[in-house]
Amino acid sequence: MRNWLRKVFLIDLVKGLWLTLTYTPQPAFTFQYPAERRPTSPRFRGVLRLQVDPATGAQVCIVCDQCAKACPDHLIQLGGHREPGQKVRVLDYFDFNLSRCSFCGLCAEACPTKPFKALIMSEDYELGMYGREGQILRIDQMYDGVPIKSYTH
Amino acid sequence: MGLIDHRFDDNVITTNLDAVLNWARQSSLWPISFGLACCAIEMMAAGGPRFDIARFGAEVFRASPRQADLMIVAGTVTKKIAPVLKRLYDQMPEPKWVISMGSCANAGGPFPTYSVVQGVDKIIPVDVYICGCPPRPEALLYGLMQLQDKIRKEGTVFRRERVIRVGQTEPVLIGTRG
Repeated sequence: MRNWLRKVFLIDLVKGLWLTLTYTPQPAFTFQYPAERRPTSPRFRGVLRLQVDPATGAQVCIVCDQCAKACPDHLIQLGGHREPGQKVRVLDYFDFNLSRCSFCGLCAEACPTKPFKALIMSEDYELGMYGREGQILRIDQMYDGVPIKSYTH
Repeated sequence: MGLIDHRFDDNVITTNLDAVLNWARQSSLWPISFGLACCAIEMMAAGGPRFDIARFGAEVFRASPRQADLMIVAGTVTKKIAPVLKRLYDQMPEPKWVISMGSCANAGGPFPTYSVVQGVDKIIPVDVYICGCPPRPEALLYGLMQLQDKIRKEGTVFRRERVIRVGQTEPVLIGTRG
């Protein structure tokens, strides 16, 4: 009789699966990625961005070439020219090879401008490209950021 | 699909058939477990419960290349593993796609040395490159969604390839069967 009750009410199965069954009604641990994006920590090292002065839109970079010298893989190349009569150089081109970047942050650390740095590591990490050419960032993409497709409808 | 590949012109049946085939292929990409170095840890994290790659249909990381259709090259490709990688890629049946994950697989990473292949696309053709060192699991999922977009645009039954031949200006429809 006891055996029969045990078989009908699946006592052994419930005992064995007890831990699993306690987890079943709990909310899922999964981060629904395209719908929710986990906030990054304050010192997160994402892709490089060039900053402009937010009040005036003026160029902050002084074309000192320290970031290019600090990069261990020589991924940054930049250049500028000096207008006659001006003291500060104008940034002409800033080529950054994203394919080899190890996101070490030495370039952003080396940037000397104050009160805020010209070269910072932003929060973007969604970097999926279809070819090698998309991985060389030119100056427009350094200022505006890599175009990121939004998958949330 | 060998008999019906690229034989038909645009009409409502072939475009819908293509849409169904592309949807089936993009929603069930089965990766082969080819984690080589640190990016493999992030790939494992993407397979874990927090950033579930099973939501995208890629839950079974097949051990055998003959049962997989996506190869995620995660990690540094050295010259020692390169022939093995090529052999596994050749053993995968069509249709197959390759995701290059991380800077070592993209372009050799920070290792311009004598023993590292400077990018896996020197050996096999790559569809999507994911930059990062290592890319976050969310970045891997973003790259997977980019690949799904690419698969959505493919044409199998419907002849979608148009080329402009040398000396002409108008594109013509071609197919692999002429």
